[in-house]
Amino acid sequence: MCGIAGLISPHVGQAMREEAVTRMVARQAHRGPDDRGMHSEGDATLGMCRLAIIDPAHGHQPMTSPDGRFTVVFNGAIYNYRELQPELAAGGWIFRTNCDTEVLLAAYALKGANCLKLFRGMFAFAIWDAREHTLFAARDSLGIKPLYYAILPDSGLVLASELNALLASNQLPGEIDPAAAGEFLAWFSVPAPHTIYRRTAALLPGHCLRRDSDGRVTTAAWWSLPAPARATGLAGNYHDFVHSLRGQLDDTIRAHSVADVPVGAFLSGGLDSTAVVGLMAKSGATKLKTFSLIFGENGFSEQASARLAAQAIGTDHHEELITGARVASDLPRILAAFDQPTGDGINTWYASQTARQGGVKVALSGLGGDELFGGYPSFRDLPRLNRLLPLWRMLPAGLRGKILRQLQARSTTRSRKLADFLAHGRDLHELASLQRRVLPEQAQLDLLAPEARTQTERLGPFHPLFEEFTAELAGASPVQIISAWELRTYMTDVLLRDSDVFSMAHSLELRVPFVDRTLLEWLWPQPDYFKFDPRVMKRALADATADVVPAAIRQRRKQGFTLPFALWMRQELRPFLEDTFSPASLGACPWLEVSAVTQLWQKFKTTGDTRAWSRVWAVAMLVAFANRRA
Amino acid sequence: MNILLLSPELFRADGGIARIMRAYLKGVCDGCGPSGQVDSLVLNDQPGGDPRLSLYSNSRLRRNEACAGSRLRFVTRAVRFARTADLLVCGHLHHLPIALLAQAFHPGLRYSLVAHGIEVWRPYSWLERRALLGAHRILCVSDYTRRQLRRFLPTLAPERLIVVPNTLDPYFADNSTRPFVNSPFIAPRILTVARLATADRYKGIDTLIEALPHLHQLLPLARLRVVGQGDDLPRLRALAASLGVARAVEFTGAVDDETLRAEYETCDLFALPSRREGFGLVYLEAMAHGKPCVGARAGGVPEVINDSVGQLVEYGRVPELAEALAELVRRPRDSEVVRRHAASFAFPVFQRRLAAALS
Repeated sequence: MCGIAGLISPHVGQAMREEAVTRMVARQAHRGPDDRGMHSEGDATLGMCRLAIIDPAHGHQPMTSPDGRFTVVFNGAIYNYRELQPELAAGGWIFRTNCDTEVLLAAYALKGANCLKLFRGMFAFAIWDAREHTLFAARDSLGIKPLYYAILPDSGLVLASELNALLASNQLPGEIDPAAAGEFLAWFSVPAPHTIYRRTAALLPGHCLRRDSDGRVTTAAWWSLPAPARATGLAGNYHDFVHSLRGQLDDTIRAHSVADVPVGAFLSGGLDSTAVVGLMAKSGATKLKTFSLIFGENGFSEQASARLAAQAIGTDHHEELITGARVASDLPRILAAFDQPTGDGINTWYASQTARQGGVKVALSGLGGDELFGGYPSFRDLPRLNRLLPLWRMLPAGLRGKILRQLQARSTTRSRKLADFLAHGRDLHELASLQRRVLPEQAQLDLLAPEARTQTERLGPFHPLFEEFTAELAGASPVQIISAWELRTYMTDVLLRDSDVFSMAHSLELRVPFVDRTLLEWLWPQPDYFKFDPRVMKRALADATADVVPAAIRQRRKQGFTLPFALWMRQELRPFLEDTFSPASLGACPWLEVSAVTQLWQKFKTTGDTRAWSRVWAVAMLVAFANRRA
Repeated sequence: MNILLLSPELFRADGGIARIMRAYLKGVCDGCGPSGQVDSLVLNDQPGGDPRLSLYSNSRLRRNEACAGSRLRFVTRAVRFARTADLLVCGHLHHLPIALLAQAFHPGLRYSLVAHGIEVWRPYSWLERRALLGAHRILCVSDYTRRQLRRFLPTLAPERLIVVPNTLDPYFADNSTRPFVNSPFIAPRILTVARLATADRYKGIDTLIEALPHLHQLLPLARLRVVGQGDDLPRLRALAASLGVARAVEFTGAVDDETLRAEYETCDLFALPSRREGFGLVYLEAMAHGKPCVGARAGGVPEVINDSVGQLVEYGRVPELAEALAELVRRPRDSEVVRRHAASFAFPVFQRRLAAALS
């Protein structure tokens, strides 16, 4: 796990490029405290900082091929690097290290862009070809590792693992994009490929980028979700399915445990994290360290479940108490770690801090279990609603309008969400896209100043990549559609992005064994009725891990991992929020409608509507982020 | 083969659907075979015929009847004409129930649908679903439209959905061999052509106007010409005035074909950053005149515009649109490459595809 950076420009001299890349690497030094390096060749300078996990003694980057043609900077981990070595050695490559970076370099040198499908792991890398004067960069299939880039006016290209590092190149204005701020209010994250800043972009998951010698930059998908063809190797009955699933789970856990440093795990006490920890223990991990966050407030802590799991599995379990006062005190550091504004992720910041202080450099997390195994209520509710839509459309328009107005007038989030579904949703894709929209369109527009409102209104209520995702999902089943929308939107834009930023803020490599291409490609074509049971959420995962997950946890109802923000925001975090929503602070956000934002905050303070906390918090994060930059 | 062609309009208006239905009329007349005959029934045209009819038909056209907007007449004539037809071609989704009715009276009749774009990008009523499932072929103007049909009716057999991209009107296309005269950096002239209706705001004319202040920072003399008429015109004029670019935007109103050809001929580039084009015939027309195009990365447009003939932008992103316009002015595409690309959609190509699809 590392931070990578690069600047390619025919108009910037080597000394200036190296200065810029040095600044970029320094800005993301937390991503890799163990080593640094830089390489210049032709118009390109690549740099990186390394968190040494595999073959710590070797594997210095940038790494150049023996003939001097290819130079790579690589962020991530290729778990199957040992399996790939013999084939590449047979192809003529003489290995100098036992490091996954060299395997990546060898694979690209021998196979070009076709190497991407060989890799099992998480990665974002860039390779400079000194002979052809081209740059090739790629990102893993599901977007675990980030890669940001910007095309410069002089046909140059700058790229980095973090946006903060990209801006440190001093080649970009760093202006917040009003349309992106509008998108943030809808999704509580800025959906890729957009970022919060103008003129910058995030390379999409499963995409690669090529810069030709004439400066032309193109991006293309190298992986997409499997097409719904009649696949072979499908399970014939549920028993076989569960048995095969267990084999796949064991395999992904084994792959994700590859490291030459201590490996631990986050253990919240839910099914996903307990299954990961249980499978790690079963695969032979000894003295496994696990980490949980606990809260003093009733109804939030999963302490009992986590302890039960740790006891049953036999881990060295660590708990960390999080209080409102502690969050208030740490908030400046947390905000400094933000790469883009986010309404989520603070739990990952603390869990990563706890794990790093607990002595591990790598931690596994159960992230992705809900998306893969149908852990969200949307898997059950949206197909039902979709079946009712034709009846809804048969109602007279006047009656539909009346019902919508009544739903919108009600104060519950559920009613407003239903109104949003009924007003915009025409099929399961549209419903699934709206599912992760946090603020309904009108509420979002009300918070924006006129110009930003006009721009945002044009983008419509759906995800910006709606057309691309629906094309990718042509012919998919209902469970696949909802799973894909969760994987492609909330998981990528919020969960994985926050996990990367906040784990790396503590120099911790966070691995996500459920977010694994091999597992996904096996699971994807399996029949919906095996993967998902509307009566028992994540039944397949529970059944496949029945021997390692205590029954009490398997049978427990899902509890979302939320922090007691509604309480803290009225007490310990109130001074921060008063300051954030002050006229001076809001002055840094010309794209917000100050009166509407102030009203939102005042209403939260006075009405005691605890359900509104998330929208107030997300707006506060956006304002605080803008002030951090201002 | 005897073919009955149902069209919403052929000559009453000069919108995209009328233009493409004229191409269909010519295509079925040319391709119905030596013993075949064509009947044409047009819902909205006025009786009395149009002098251009002879251009788009031949001796295979047995009759062309215009119904002056009378739906009753359109339905009854369709059922009657269908008696001697082997194939009924519906020029619009709304005609499908008529095809079902005609088939009930004449069980041997097959019917096909021309799916243009946004009219089929939606959920279908029970009757429409039934009619779509019974169609012999559905001719989609783009792969995007084909995907939308599959999205909203997954049980449609994929082999019945055939992509037949729109074509240039053979009598509109520029046949001159004039070299492309480019005047970049002086006073670039950007052309857009669209119906300026409130219901069609997705065409993105307002984003073009909003892009002008950004564009003027790079190209101070850039001008926008808006060809088209509609009830959204006052709003667009007011928008241009409020942004201080009223003098750089010229609204020409609706124009005839000759004037439109001149507009294409004298512009530097064509732009229509629309979000919901099934195909976008106007891009083809501009490209036939050698002009590069800017469109939105949405609907069927990416199947018409590629990097060698223009640039695609994300709908609604005004700064990106301005940069794309400036980029095309600074680095115009090779007009011969652009013309060749348009030629790949020429009428003979369309005719071959249509014949294969209807066989």
